[in-house]
Amino acid sequence: MSRINTTLRSKKILIDQFAHQGLKTLALLSASFIFLIGSVILVKGLTPFLTDNDGLGRVGLIPFITGNVWLIDPTFQSSLYSVGFLIITTLYIVFLSLLISFPVGVLTALFIAKIAPKKLAECFRSVVEILASIPSIIYGLFGAGFILKIVYQMSQLVGVQSKGGNSVLSTVIILALMTIPTITTVSEVAIRSVDQRLIEGSLALGASFTQTNFKVVLTAAKSGIFTAAILGVGRALGEATAVSLVAGGRRSGLSFDLLDTTATLTTTMLEGMKESQGLDYNIRFSVGMVLLVVILITNFLLNLIKRKVGKIHVK
Amino acid sequence: MSNKRKAQDFLLQFGTYFAAFFSFATLSLIIFFIFTNGVKLLNLDLITHDYQAKTHIAEPLAPNDTDYFEPEETLKAEVYYSPRWGLGLIDSIDLMGKTQVEIAYVHPSSPFQQLHDKGLSHELLSLKPDMMIIRIAYSDQPSSLARYGAEQMIDELALSNQIRELEFTIPGGGIRGSIITTFYLIVFSLLFALPIGIGAAIYLNEYAKNNRFTRLLRSFIELLTGVPSIIYGLMGLAFFVPFIINVSSATSGSILSGSMTMAVILLPVVIRTTEESLKVVPDEYRQGSLALGASKTQTTFRIVLPGAFPGVLSATLLAIGRIIGESAALVFAIGTAIKDDIRVTEQSTSLAVHIWAMMTDEPANIELSSTIAIIILLIVLLLNLLIKLLTRRFLRKVSAPR
Amino acid sequence: MKKIIGCFTLILALLLTGCSRGLFNEDAKITVYTRDTTSGTRDGFMNGIGFSEAAKQDDLLVSGFLIKDNTAILNAMTIDEYGIGYISLSSLTDNVKGLKLNGVIPSEANVLNDTYDLKRPFMWMIRAEADYPSEAVELLVQAFVAFLNTTDAGDIINNAGAIALPSSTTWDSIKNDYPITAEDNHLITVRFGGSDSIQKVAQALTQAFSAKAGNFIAEHDHTGSGDGWKRTNGDSKDQAEGKDVGFSSRNFTSAELANVNATQTGQLAWDAIVTIVHNDNPIENITTQILKNIYSGAYTLWSDLPETD
Repeated sequence: MSRINTTLRSKKILIDQFAHQGLKTLALLSASFIFLIGSVILVKGLTPFLTDNDGLGRVGLIPFITGNVWLIDPTFQSSLYSVGFLIITTLYIVFLSLLISFPVGVLTALFIAKIAPKKLAECFRSVVEILASIPSIIYGLFGAGFILKIVYQMSQLVGVQSKGGNSVLSTVIILALMTIPTITTVSEVAIRSVDQRLIEGSLALGASFTQTNFKVVLTAAKSGIFTAAILGVGRALGEATAVSLVAGGRRSGLSFDLLDTTATLTTTMLEGMKESQGLDYNIRFSVGMVLLVVILITNFLLNLIKRKVGKIHVK
Repeated sequence: MSNKRKAQDFLLQFGTYFAAFFSFATLSLIIFFIFTNGVKLLNLDLITHDYQAKTHIAEPLAPNDTDYFEPEETLKAEVYYSPRWGLGLIDSIDLMGKTQVEIAYVHPSSPFQQLHDKGLSHELLSLKPDMMIIRIAYSDQPSSLARYGAEQMIDELALSNQIRELEFTIPGGGIRGSIITTFYLIVFSLLFALPIGIGAAIYLNEYAKNNRFTRLLRSFIELLTGVPSIIYGLMGLAFFVPFIINVSSATSGSILSGSMTMAVILLPVVIRTTEESLKVVPDEYRQGSLALGASKTQTTFRIVLPGAFPGVLSATLLAIGRIIGESAALVFAIGTAIKDDIRVTEQSTSLAVHIWAMMTDEPANIELSSTIAIIILLIVLLLNLLIKLLTRRFLRKVSAPR
Repeated sequence: MKKIIGCFTLILALLLTGCSRGLFNEDAKITVYTRDTTSGTRDGFMNGIGFSEAAKQDDLLVSGFLIKDNTAILNAMTIDEYGIGYISLSSLTDNVKGLKLNGVIPSEANVLNDTYDLKRPFMWMIRAEADYPSEAVELLVQAFVAFLNTTDAGDIINNAGAIALPSSTTWDSIKNDYPITAEDNHLITVRFGGSDSIQKVAQALTQAFSAKAGNFIAEHDHTGSGDGWKRTNGDSKDQAEGKDVGFSSRNFTSAELANVNATQTGQLAWDAIVTIVHNDNPIENITTQILKNIYSGAYTLWSDLPETD
């Protein structure tokens, strides 16, 4: 009797251990994918800089990162690929889009959390949720079919010739529209979690409702709001398909002109991949590598600023 | 309050109203845009039809005699009709802006009702309205071509006595293939992602001790959320595509390689959502089960996991939404060739990539893209609604007094 | 609350009234569109306007030009009033304005009688003997090439807007020489690629031929004339992007023909290159000299152009 019990128990323990190890493996596997991604991108992305690319010549890292031209010649020479202007335009576009999406997103959040009557708030919250769940390709379609036309006609009004509306401005608008829901959702949570006593205190001291909202609530929630901005920037930096439909695929030259065509790191990766090996193929992984580095650095800097901002007490 | 402050308050207040209105306006505009552009093509045929047009080459079965066919219905004014052949044609313009000849009416006893297929099948074909005629070749005169329009085709038809062959197409523009691909993608991605993700979540929540190693695991998984989907696409292209080529008959990107890439994208979502629902399962359940002599494994899989089922379900729904909406990663991991004949080891497009392929191909097909967008949007909204209902019920169930 | 809503309506109204269209402005800058340097159309165009140095070099072109593919240029010309570009005659539609060149209308007749200057051949190239994925593919490709010389193919080429070479053979009269076409080939895929100017013509041809040849699957992936040789007999012929039939919208170069048998290539049609502008642009005729001046940057405004007839 007791023997049966012990075998049963040991069998149970065996199964338990087996399950434990099996599940652990799955968790390890999940965690390992980040290394798979990292190593694939690194191995492929570094190839152009380390080998002579089947006789086309080694790509110089410094010219690649600082250069001003992306392949405007078909002969696939190593010296023709560079992403300097793409890094700057990417950051420029993301910054401009944040200029729109940040205030709009935060104020929408404030509206939903503090100002709107309950029913209206619920309605607007659903609107933001729906906007957040719309796939980026639909934003892209909307951009290509609608924003491009509007921007083109607007540019005509001011007497500038834009190239069919493909421009920095269109890209910025699309990115802003796509990041507003992210910013709104995260800031709303931050705003709602502001201590009610703080608000009542402010009102009791004679501040108006609006003053309280802007000076007390937003200040108290600033850390959460900043996180929202960081998430928004992350989404904007990595966005590819929607942007590629409105950017215009600029190949060379830095331009800050709002109505000029443009390109970002991601649109360049998506464009014109013809080979399945060799330099023209590997170089896209190098761009991916640069994109990851840009994202990491931006995130790091923004988090640094967030910590600084968190310390300063804003009046 | 001073007037200045009033003005200031008003301005700030106005700002929040404006911002909220902005989101609302964006949503309305997007929906308005895709509906006005896409609703025209939205019907059942779209879902059942092929994307590629099907071409047939045929010859009339019987040499025609000099019949005269009076049309049995009144034809529209733009229709050119040949009473001798019993055929009514009309001009139409394709996306490229080129003239095409569309069949408007075929008389029931027209020779075009009985055509011999010159291709493989020896079945009888017949011309039907909405088909397109590309050319008619005669034995006794130069061929009639669609690009010169319906009027000229009817005129030339009238002069000839002997049709050598007739090339016509059944128009495409359907999205059956992309729907099937999307479906395959959902099934395979979930097949890869759910076991791994749920397993990992169970480990992290039920088994792992709260030590540095676990925190490290968590932060690695969390890192995946921040990776842009285009980077996942590159990873799929460089890792899963060659992998699938090696183990199967695939020669390029395939639904399988796409699903595997998609599965990695889904992992953090599945893990997080599952873990959250595992956390909500009350600890008394576990203690009770263990106290009754159940093993840890039995407790986890028989008691805890079923308790977390709604969470797992909403993880699945979230994942489906993500699969349907994903484009950048799939462009790399599968490819952009729109297919009708779907095989899992070959390239094809999901609905979202179908839109991308059509928008980057020229001329951009905004109408069909918008129609697909309507379908995607409806599915995504439905999924969102389901998740909301699910979460609400789940929360009520858990918080309800037992 | 009421005040706020009032303000909104005002702003919205202001925004909505701002949308109207202007007339053609002669003093506007010319937006120059071009194909990339792998393109056969670009090669044909630059050679045709006497600017052959620019066929392979972008830095000779006027600054601020835009590189687009065939149909993207066509599309751009439907919205950009001040643009100028060039496309294949086979792609020309009513949505844009095709210009006369030196007073000659770009038409099939004028190409065949050699009065229209900007023309180029459409060429095909197939893989070397026994270098196909399977024998069936090889037989189908041979049948396809034979089909290209028939009147049936000629009809399709003409219908697609290119200019077929004269022929009097019908497919019916030679199809018995190619028994593969009588079999069921619906599981066989033949890969077509090369010039994207030829894509529409090639697709029309394979659609018709597939119906005649056992419904084989024609996979089209057109990336530029440079790949016509490269993917059938060049470096990437054995890569995933390798092709069974490649097209080129220019003559193959001697370097490309070095490892290729004479039976592996041939011409299927002529094509004319048409200069296109927006429909609102009043210009009707252009000369090769003006075109060269536009593309080299000597003329930058539409008002720089001299009068021509």
